[in-house]
Amino acid sequence: MDNNKFVEVKNLRKVYDNGHEAIKNVSFSVKKGDLVCLLGPSGCGKTTILNILAGLLNPTSGEILFDGKSVVEVASKDRQIGYVFQNYALYPHMNVLQNVMFPLTVGKNKKSKAQAREIAQKYMKLTQIMDIADQKPGNLSGGQQQRVAIARALVQEPKILLMDEPLSNLDARLRLKIREEIRSLVKSVGITTLFVTHDQEEALSIGDKIILFNDGVIQQDDLGENFYLEPNNYFVANFVGNPVINNFKITKSANELRTKYFTLDLAKLNQQRFKRQLVDGDYILSVRPENIIPEEGGVFHTKVADVELIGRERILKFNYDQVQGRSLVSLESSIKRGDEIDLKIRLDRAFIFTTDGERVY
Amino acid sequence: MKTNQKKAWLFLAPTIIFVTLFSIYPILRAFSMSFQNGPLINLTWAGFNNYQYIFKDPEFWLAIKNTVLYAVISVPIGLAISIMLAWIIFAKVKHKSFFETTFFMPYVTSTIAIGIVFRYIFNGDYGMLNFLLRSIHLPAPDWIDDPAMSLTTIIIFGIWTSLAFNIVILMGALRNIDPSFYTIADMYGASGRDKFWRITMPELVPTLAFLLTMNIIGAFKIYTSVYALFNGQAGVGNSGTTAVFYIYNKFQIVGTPGVAMAATVILFLIILFATFLQRKMMKKIGEN
Amino acid sequence: MKRIRLGVLLSYIILFIFAIVTVFPFIYMILGGLMSFQETTSIPPTLFPHHFEWSNYAKVFARAPFARYFFNTILTASITTIISLFNSLLGAFAMVNLNFKGKKIVQLVLLSLLMVPGEAIIFTNYNTIAHMGLLNTYIGLVLPFLTSIFYMYYLQSYFGSISTTIYKAAMIDGASDWDYIWKILVPMSKGGLFTVGLLSFISGWNSFLWPLLVTNEDTMRLLNNGLSSFASDAGSETQLQLAAATLTVLPILVLYLIFRKQIIKGVVRNDLKG
Repeated sequence: MDNNKFVEVKNLRKVYDNGHEAIKNVSFSVKKGDLVCLLGPSGCGKTTILNILAGLLNPTSGEILFDGKSVVEVASKDRQIGYVFQNYALYPHMNVLQNVMFPLTVGKNKKSKAQAREIAQKYMKLTQIMDIADQKPGNLSGGQQQRVAIARALVQEPKILLMDEPLSNLDARLRLKIREEIRSLVKSVGITTLFVTHDQEEALSIGDKIILFNDGVIQQDDLGENFYLEPNNYFVANFVGNPVINNFKITKSANELRTKYFTLDLAKLNQQRFKRQLVDGDYILSVRPENIIPEEGGVFHTKVADVELIGRERILKFNYDQVQGRSLVSLESSIKRGDEIDLKIRLDRAFIFTTDGERVY
Repeated sequence: MKTNQKKAWLFLAPTIIFVTLFSIYPILRAFSMSFQNGPLINLTWAGFNNYQYIFKDPEFWLAIKNTVLYAVISVPIGLAISIMLAWIIFAKVKHKSFFETTFFMPYVTSTIAIGIVFRYIFNGDYGMLNFLLRSIHLPAPDWIDDPAMSLTTIIIFGIWTSLAFNIVILMGALRNIDPSFYTIADMYGASGRDKFWRITMPELVPTLAFLLTMNIIGAFKIYTSVYALFNGQAGVGNSGTTAVFYIYNKFQIVGTPGVAMAATVILFLIILFATFLQRKMMKKIGEN
Repeated sequence: MKRIRLGVLLSYIILFIFAIVTVFPFIYMILGGLMSFQETTSIPPTLFPHHFEWSNYAKVFARAPFARYFFNTILTASITTIISLFNSLLGAFAMVNLNFKGKKIVQLVLLSLLMVPGEAIIFTNYNTIAHMGLLNTYIGLVLPFLTSIFYMYYLQSYFGSISTTIYKAAMIDGASDWDYIWKILVPMSKGGLFTVGLLSFISGWNSFLWPLLVTNEDTMRLLNNGLSSFASDAGSETQLQLAAATLTVLPILVLYLIFRKQIIKGVVRNDLKG
């Protein structure tokens, strides 16, 4: 068995009856014991993939292997998976214990009552829900329901745990707490986990690796930090990062990169970072807010339109091309609204994309 | 999940079998029988004879006339009274659920049983209604035994029966109107009348359309209440005969099922046409 | 301020008049069933009997087999309710939770059949039952009503309001469809099923035209048919007619008053979606 490809998806495609192509030729693999985040904006196909992995949807074409064996023709209940739904999908008429026991009281894995109770209690202890065992889901807080859902997903001791936006129904503070708990829980159980989210911060904090989707296509399959440092394309650069990246329309002619506001000498760019030779034409220069900073003699002379305080940093806002640019400065900075400043661009941390979104620098 | 789960047919099997046997087949059979002559055990092809027969039959025309008159008079009046009562219960009084429970009672009770009571209340000599009318010096007609009164009596009973369903459905619809509409109207100083005509009524249009359809279909099917009021007859000298009465009579008593089915087809077409017509109308009203 | 109060007062008056018009026939029926013959036909009419003539009921039971009518009615209404509920439950489950080719067509056909008035098919159904030799039998009385498109449609809307992830969760938990129906769907929809059951039972209890067609033996009659033939036979004995009518109405009225909330809610719910 190849533990590096515990879950393997090959050339997966899904076209819905209405003709919408939700997944276009997607391939990826997951290492045994890893927690992988499927990240993307809503409608990007990430939940569709999870549903296909769970057997709740049929793929139009493609192959899915769990532990080396194809599961495309295998029914959900026989795939040895656990699934945590966004709305938890707890059975409202059963109490917590009955909910957690349910998978052990039906189907092939049917256990004796005593055995089922024992296993259920083991996972209820792990998720710390023993004290609410006889409550109905309707009386529980979001966080408690979440734990019950996880206990129920784990009770069959599945090989793979699938979680669909499990934190989106919780308030912000609880979300932080539970996501840490989820990570330490799945790590202690050692189960391979796929975790769907639209929240990049959540993905970065919880995932061993992240697969970013858009429009049914994988945009980048990588370690978290690389989404910042080395985005594959324009979409990734813009999706990941907060505050969002600044994009300038530029034109390359001869040895210059020209915008409406400033001109850059091509020679000053790090030549090793070029993916290919630039031909003359229009491009997009993208600079993260922390890499465009006020400095005497910087290339971009502009006026501060507004200053926003975000915790221990400030964002300077400036206007160009009918959009608002952002520059990240420290809390101590004394720059005020209306000040005229020069902005310096850290060229070895900037990116250049073609107008189609392909990264060239 | 499979996109074509054939096991679904297993779960639907009982429904499909019964529906085919007792809903779809009888419709087709009724249609084909309307072109056939003779008794049930020996039907022969008759072409359009049955249709020609009923169109020449004055009794059929009386039945249709009575049924249409009944529908056209009882439905709007019943609906208007229902709207008034539902609005009063909803907007004006306490103990809403008490009144709702009271007004819904006729819906669950047997038309036959309550028809017997009405026959008694309507009695020309010792009936309660005429006693009341006489005591306030109004004419006291012979509701049951005067052929000229048959249809009126049927209509009054019909309205009484129809209120229950209408009121309860309208109450449900009134409760569904977003209360903030009224709060905003109050802020702009709208009067009670303004609120009723400019918020309540427009919001009720879909419900009224639904009730109108149900009431009209129900009105065209009227049978049991006539049977109950006139003790198994269609009024004195058949004066209160209705379409279903005519069909029953031709099918079961006279033994000409072909004629009965031709009348059924015509009745069905009339219902379809009336439903279609009122949907069009309501759509127009809804658009304005 | 005065005008508003006047409006409310007027509203109460209108409401009370109509409430009395609605309730009076019921009260008059019950009281009339306890009057003597002279009292029921007196001029001016008697509203309240001098003493309750309970013997009217004994006479009703002696003159016609009302006990048998009761038995027949309860039996057929119960069988119809249980089986049609079962069939509707399975059908509605399939329509809501399963995907299959032809689902849209099935739905379309069922919805159009919902528009067909029962009176248009009842006579040909009589023909079918007669052909099967089932006149004057319990099977003949219930057979065409063992499935109800109306109740199936109602349950569909009820099941449709249950989150689809519940079914998915059950599938992943290893439940079969049968497990899902009985361990999750039914307990979760108890209220809806109960309401449908009640409404079905009530309409079975009040059925008239169909049993009138398929039965002509006195022992096979249902309450309402028994009542109407008794009313003809009893002729001018109004007090007995009213007592018999009370017998027919009272059980359902009691059932209604106990479960009024569920019944009204059920009727409002299913019809707003129509």
